[in-house]
Amino acid sequence: MQRAAESAAGKLSRRAALRALGTGIGTVAALPWLSDEGLLAFARIQETNAAPQLKVLSASQFATLEVLVDAIIPTDDRSPGAKQARVADYIDLLLSEVDRELTLQWIGGLAALDAEAMSKFRAPFSRLGAGQVDAILQRISRNEKAPQTPLETFFVMAKQATIRGYYSSTIGIHEELRYKGNQFLREFVGCETEDGKDCPHCGQKHL
Amino acid sequence: MIQPDPTLNVNLTRALEESRRLADSIKPGSDRWDVIVVGSGAAGGMAAFQLAMAGVKVLLLEAGRMIDVRTEYRTMEWPYASMRRNRLPPGERPIDVAEYAFLDRPYGSNPAFAKHKKVMSYAGNRFTRNWVVDERQHPTTGTPYAWVRSRILGGKTNFWGRGALRYGPLQFNAASRDGFDVDWPISYDDVKPYYDKVDVLLGCSGTTEGLDAVPDGVFQRPSKLNCVEVAFKRAIAKMGRHYIPGRAGVTTDGVLNNKYRARCAGRGRCGRGCDIQAAFHSPTALIYPARDSGNLTTRPYSIVSEVLLGEASNRASGVRVIDANTREVMDFKAPVVVLGAGALDTTRILLNSRSSAHPNGLGNSSGVLGCYLSEHIMGIRGSGFIPARIGTEATLDDGRPVAPYIPRFRNVTDRHPDFIRGYHFQGGGGCAEYPSMAHDIAGYGKAFKSSVRRYYPAIISFGGFGEVLPRKENRVTLDPVVKDAWGIPVLRFDYIFRDNELKMAKDMADSIEEMLIAAHAEDIKIEREPLPPGWSIHEIGTARMGDDPRTSVTDRFCRVHDAKNVYIADAAPFVCGGTQNTTWSILAMAWRTMDHLKEHLRAGDV
Repeated sequence: MQRAAESAAGKLSRRAALRALGTGIGTVAALPWLSDEGLLAFARIQETNAAPQLKVLSASQFATLEVLVDAIIPTDDRSPGAKQARVADYIDLLLSEVDRELTLQWIGGLAALDAEAMSKFRAPFSRLGAGQVDAILQRISRNEKAPQTPLETFFVMAKQATIRGYYSSTIGIHEELRYKGNQFLREFVGCETEDGKDCPHCGQKHL
Repeated sequence: MIQPDPTLNVNLTRALEESRRLADSIKPGSDRWDVIVVGSGAAGGMAAFQLAMAGVKVLLLEAGRMIDVRTEYRTMEWPYASMRRNRLPPGERPIDVAEYAFLDRPYGSNPAFAKHKKVMSYAGNRFTRNWVVDERQHPTTGTPYAWVRSRILGGKTNFWGRGALRYGPLQFNAASRDGFDVDWPISYDDVKPYYDKVDVLLGCSGTTEGLDAVPDGVFQRPSKLNCVEVAFKRAIAKMGRHYIPGRAGVTTDGVLNNKYRARCAGRGRCGRGCDIQAAFHSPTALIYPARDSGNLTTRPYSIVSEVLLGEASNRASGVRVIDANTREVMDFKAPVVVLGAGALDTTRILLNSRSSAHPNGLGNSSGVLGCYLSEHIMGIRGSGFIPARIGTEATLDDGRPVAPYIPRFRNVTDRHPDFIRGYHFQGGGGCAEYPSMAHDIAGYGKAFKSSVRRYYPAIISFGGFGEVLPRKENRVTLDPVVKDAWGIPVLRFDYIFRDNELKMAKDMADSIEEMLIAAHAEDIKIEREPLPPGWSIHEIGTARMGDDPRTSVTDRFCRVHDAKNVYIADAAPFVCGGTQNTTWSILAMAWRTMDHLKEHLRAGDV
C-alpha cells in the first residue's frame, strides 16, 4: 500500500498536478509563469530531495506544507502551532490513503503556492519571511466562502485539513482548547446554577 | 513517536474462537430447546433474558459473531493515539449522506465503491467497523433508505444513542386525538409497569418533569445542563418550552444483580460502546446473565432465512438457519419461535416464510406485512453561539451519556394548522473534544486561532426527530431478483417522506431559528434539508399489531395471527412511534410479550 502510494506520487507530472488542482487548461493558463520545463525541473529537484520517512510528499513539498499549516494555525502565547502538532505529517499520511486525484490536487496546490512565492518574492514559499507568507495568505484567503482561483481552492482545502489535524492532536486538544472531558468523574457538574449557586464560568445567577 | 496506527486492529481472537466453537458444537438435535429466539439486540436479548431467567430452555440465534467485551469497546481512546486520527483504514468507508439519494441501489455494488474492501452504512466508523455490516453482502433495493444493520452479539445496542424515552398516551391513543389511522390495541397503562421494570433492571438516568409530551420513569441520578444549555433553557422557558436533561439508558447509580456492569463514570464517549458497561448493551446487561442461568444456548453465525411450518398450517416448527461461514443449511426445531431480528429483518424473515398455506409469507394473510413502515424524519437542525460563554475558559461540558432534550410541544395541547403529530429536539452545547465549529470560522493565523478558542465553549446545536406517519403505502417487499450473500431475497423499499412530514420539517426549522433568536445566539445556522429516510434507525411498524387479523399481523401480545406459536419481540408490531427513540419501548414491549408467553408455557397451551 505504502509503496504504491509513493510510486504513484513520484510519477506525477507537475502539469498533471496543476490540471487536477483546477479545471485543466484554464488552471495552467492562470499560472503562465510555470513552463512545462520549469515544472519538470522543479519536480526533479523535489524528487532528489525526497525524505524517506514521508509517504507521499517530497522533502521540499513537506517543507512548504509545514510553513503553510503553521501560518494557518501558528504558535501564540497560549500554545504551539500546527507545525509542532505535526499536522504536516498527518496530511502526508492522509494523502497516502486518498484517491490519486486528491493527492494530485494537493501536490499541485503546493507547487502553485511555490510558484506564487517565486513570482512575488523570488523565493520558494518555505523560504519566505513571516510578512511575505502573510501577504500571500491574505491574497489567497479572500474568497474562503466561494473560492475563485485554484490557489484560493487550495487554501480552503489546506485550512480544513489543518483544522482537523491540529484540533485532534495532543497540543490542540490539551494545550490550546484545554478540553477537560474523557476522564473518570465522580459526578458531572455542569453549570453551577444547576446546583443552586451563581456560576463562575458563565456569570449566570441562580434563579 | 508517531506511528501510522497502532490501535486500529482490535484483537478479536478470543471472540472468533468462541464463535467458531459454539457454531461447531450447536447443531439441530444437539439439545432440546423450549423456545428459539432470533436476534440478540434489545429485543432478542430481553426475550432470551426473560425466558432463561424463568427456567425456559432457550436457543438464541445471532447472525454475526460473539463479542469480546474486554477488547472491543474503545471508549477512551484519544484521536492522537495514532497519526491516522479517527479515520477508517484505507479500503473501508461508509456511504455518505449525499450518496444515499444519488447512487442507485443496491448501494454496495455501485461502481463508486468498486475499489473498497468494505462499504458500510453511515454508522460505520473507526469504532463500529467490526460490527456494522458490509452493504455488499447485505443489499437493498427500491427507494433510498439508510438502513443501519450490525451483525454481532448485542447488535446495535453496542453503539446505540442511549436515548431512553417512553411512549405515552399521545402515541398509544394517537388516532383518537387526530383521526389519522388507528390507535394501538393497547394503552400506556398496559405497558407502564414494564417500562418501570426496565428502568429498574437496566438503569435509566433522567429527571421527573410531569410533562404531557413524554411520561416520566423510575430514574437514576440525572445528568445536568452545562452553561450554554442553562442560558438556552432560560430563554425558551419564556416561550413555554422545556429543555431538560437527556434520558439515558445508562446506569448512573448502578444496577442490582449484574456483575458485568459498573455505574457511569462520566467519560462521555458512549457511542463507541461503553467499556465499563454503564450504558445498556445487550450482551452484558441481558445475555451474559441469561447464559449464567444455565438455560441459554447462544449460536452465533446463524442467519435465519425463514420460519418453518409444522404439520398444522397455523404453527411453526422451528427456523431454517444458514451458517454464515460454512453456508450449511440447518433446521432448528422448538415449540415456540420468537423473532427479534429488528423490525425490518424480522419482517423479511416472515415475508420469506412462504408455503402453500401462506404464499405471501407467514403472517401476511392480512396483506399488511411490510406495510406501515415508520421512523423519524431527521436532519433539520440548527446552531449558534451563546453570548454568556463567548471568550470564557473551557469547562467540562460533555461528561454525561446524552445531551439534553426539548420534548414535543406541537399538537400536545394545541392543534397545529399545517400538520398532525409532532417532533422533539435533542442536542446540547459547550466544549467537546473536537471543535467542529472551527471549520466555519473565517481567516487564518493568530486571529483565527483565538477566534476558535473564543467561540469554542459557546456553541449550542440540536436537531429534530419528527414522527413519520404510519402509511400503508410506505412499505417493504421482497425483491424478486436481488439476494444477499447467502441467497436470501432482500428488502425492496417503497418509502418516502410525504406532505405531513415535509410540513413538519419546515416548522421544525422555523422553531429552531425562533428559539436560537430568543437565546440571543450569534451566527445562527439552520439546516432545513432532511437526512435520507432511515437515518433515525428507529424503524417500526412493518408487522403491526391489532385485534382484527384482517388488518394486522400480530395480536395485542405480539403473537402472529397466522401462527400461534410465533411471537415478535422487536418494534415491528408497533402501530406508531411518536417522536421517541425506540429502544426503551422495544425492551418494555419484549418483556411484556415474554410475560404473556411464559404464562402460556406454564399453562401448556402455546
